[in-house]
Amino acid sequence: MRLLISLFSPNYPQTLVYMLQSTEYEAKPYLKWFWRTKDFSSVMYRRKLEKTRVASSLLLLISLGMVLQVVLGLALLYLGNHRGRLPLTLCGTLLVITYPFVWAHLLVLPLALGRLLVIKPLHKKLINESKAIFAKHPGTTIAVAGSYGKTSMKELLKTVLEQGKNVAATPANKNVAVSHAYFAKKLKGDEDVLIIEYGEGNPGDVVRFANTTQPNIGVITGLAPAHLDHYPSLQAAGKDIFSLAKAVGANKTFVNSDSEATKSFIKPDYHTYNSEKVMGWKISDIKVGFTGTSFEMSKGKQHLNLKSGLLGRHQVGPLALAAVLADQLGLSKTQIEAGVAKTVPFEYRMQPRSLNGAWILDDTYNGNIDGLRAGLVLLKDLPARRRIYVTPGLVDQGVETEAVHIELGKAIAAANPDKLVLMLNSVTKYIEAGLKQGNYQGELQIEHYPLDFYTNLEHLLAAGDVVMLQNDWTDNYN
Amino acid sequence: MKTIAVIFGGRSAEHDVSIITALAAIIKPLELTKKFQVEPIYIAKDGAWYWDEKLKDISLYQGSGIDELMRKAPKTQLLFDGSLTLFKPGSFAGRKQSKKIDMVFPAMHGTHGEDGELMGILEMANVPYIGCGVAASAVAMDKVLSKQVTQSAGIASTPWTWFYSHDLSQNQTRILKEIDALKYPLFVKPAHLGSSIGITRVTEKSLLMNALEVAAHYDDRVIVEQAVDNLIEVTLPIIGNEVPVPALLEQPILHSEDFFDFETKYMQGGKKNGKKGGQKSGTQGAQGYSQIPANVSKELYDKAVSVGLNVYKTVGCTGIARVDMLIDSKTQEVFFNEINPLPGGLYSHNWNKAGIANVDLVSRLVDYAESRWQDKQKLDTAFSTNFLKQF
Repeated sequence: MRLLISLFSPNYPQTLVYMLQSTEYEAKPYLKWFWRTKDFSSVMYRRKLEKTRVASSLLLLISLGMVLQVVLGLALLYLGNHRGRLPLTLCGTLLVITYPFVWAHLLVLPLALGRLLVIKPLHKKLINESKAIFAKHPGTTIAVAGSYGKTSMKELLKTVLEQGKNVAATPANKNVAVSHAYFAKKLKGDEDVLIIEYGEGNPGDVVRFANTTQPNIGVITGLAPAHLDHYPSLQAAGKDIFSLAKAVGANKTFVNSDSEATKSFIKPDYHTYNSEKVMGWKISDIKVGFTGTSFEMSKGKQHLNLKSGLLGRHQVGPLALAAVLADQLGLSKTQIEAGVAKTVPFEYRMQPRSLNGAWILDDTYNGNIDGLRAGLVLLKDLPARRRIYVTPGLVDQGVETEAVHIELGKAIAAANPDKLVLMLNSVTKYIEAGLKQGNYQGELQIEHYPLDFYTNLEHLLAAGDVVMLQNDWTDNYN
Repeated sequence: MKTIAVIFGGRSAEHDVSIITALAAIIKPLELTKKFQVEPIYIAKDGAWYWDEKLKDISLYQGSGIDELMRKAPKTQLLFDGSLTLFKPGSFAGRKQSKKIDMVFPAMHGTHGEDGELMGILEMANVPYIGCGVAASAVAMDKVLSKQVTQSAGIASTPWTWFYSHDLSQNQTRILKEIDALKYPLFVKPAHLGSSIGITRVTEKSLLMNALEVAAHYDDRVIVEQAVDNLIEVTLPIIGNEVPVPALLEQPILHSEDFFDFETKYMQGGKKNGKKGGQKSGTQGAQGYSQIPANVSKELYDKAVSVGLNVYKTVGCTGIARVDMLIDSKTQEVFFNEINPLPGGLYSHNWNKAGIANVDLVSRLVDYAESRWQDKQKLDTAFSTNFLKQF
């Protein structure tokens, strides 16, 4: 009943455009979401429709279309009844009652056509032009690929290297071919270092990106079941990501060996980095606190004393790699230490904030099992009166969904936070199964209204509490 | 799920503060525990009772919304059926709505609520309620009575005296003579009011009469207290029944010549000469301007906590209260000043710092109320006799 009422609600057109906007105007995820929705009136829960030009145009189009269809349907109904023509009456009825479904699907038509006839050819042209720009560019190009941690690694490298070099990096998480092309257009040609993030979109993307951007150094940040709706298996995703090593050469490939799943792909000539060593540098005296992480590195007579605003033991490997690459590129000890000192948490990535004397570690952009494990380790490491762990679980785990979430449940049980808050959704049952297997002893709370929880933290926390928020599900995953 | 009625507002000068305490410090955390169904009951300034889900919205009280609601909404009726049930005529076909109440959370500051009057009704209804009982509330809200009770238990206060307001015109000489025995500066206060209403700090004799008249205007009894030299003012929130649990000793940061009047406490965030309306929430006010824990030596800290707990037990408090004390930093003496049986905002900012979140605080208060009520049920208070047969 609720579904029926919501289909014919005046807000329905806006809801459809919101769904399209939230899936970044991708037809497939939009249609999947449409067909699993049981109540359209509750779709716009976390956010509202952002009235961009595209969204407003689509909203106008769909609203007019629906009105026209209903008017036409009513006209046919009237004619059919008036003239006793049953086919007209039936047609009219069908038009009136099917408009929510018809326009939900017609909506993707202009997008598909636009993509085929305008966007694709334009992108192809831009990418070809960028290939020439990258080929000519004299600077060192570092490609960053992996299932997770790419944006963080890219920003980290940029912050450290720009203490002594002219560095350009792809912006935010713009990591697909056309983003690389726009990035290339903005280059002046005098940059010492280019840092390019490779997104894991579709199989074969990494090879294509490498052909265009022609990197000199490859960094593989980790492998985990993430965005596995594009790959048939973790193995397939790994093969794709590690194709970067072929493009740059084995001795220019740096792999995060703290990531369990990378181990089967690492070849003898690859360089690895982790929280113990990187390229002959030994790491020691790691200290983790609410305001950052510090550690020491030494190699022969060289010694670095590094302090970063980033939180967690898992940050040590990437920080150490940035320091080593900076050293190889000619930065001084002072420059390297200054660069690392400038690294601070990015928004929603292990970002600490204080509330009523409690610490909140906002890691809501974390979307992979390795990251969640790192978060649990950090939570255990930090001094606290009460440790609280909050998560909805992970999205885009594909065929690995059940296994990953049982694994997560066991990892949580092992970390044994005093309180666990799970946002109720389709993977909660798997996490609970993992908790049971791991014999979790703490307090479990299943939260039906995530927003209620997140917006009322000041009532739920007290001084001395440490709460780790990991991952967040947007409306399109509900 | 237990149903808890939160009663707030009332015929009191602290009506508005009560709304904040109820909405921000009680109703929201109770709902967030997911263990209780919370029913808001608002008592208007004219004493009428209203029961409506909309009463949980603070914006209702900030404009004319509440007046609109009171104009349209039916008055709430109470049924004492061995417990407490709420009734009101429904909006559809005159059908009555009813709700059995499992527990009451009194959230009324000041007169006709915090002073035990509301608790009396709840005792008659035999419904569990949170906070101090009738006697403890009445004693706590009467500054004269609370000093008499604590003094009899050997708890020190600064030298003080009191008089009936009607005596001010009839026995002025005797009153002034008694006050002469005290050293200036003095504090002149209405005996029953809270939130610093009608209080004057008097530094010299020429200002005394005016202060006495102001206080007498507000109350039928007036108390006059000698101020403390080398003053450190502290306050201690406490929860519990037989075994009281203290929060952290709190020290409002102020100069010796200042004290917080109503305006400063609730409207200016505890800052003298601050902007008006600077703080929307009465739960912030002076509480946003204090040192937690108090900056005193461990010995003095422990002494003050001990005095506070002693006061709490002597007055017979249960559930929650807050004890205000005055410390002479030179002589290291700790004097009992006042006790507040319903701290504004439950003083949750202090409990948070002590490691108790708002949801945990209200949950504990519910448990204390349930425990006290259960103990009372074991007592025989009505039994059969042959008394009537002799008539």
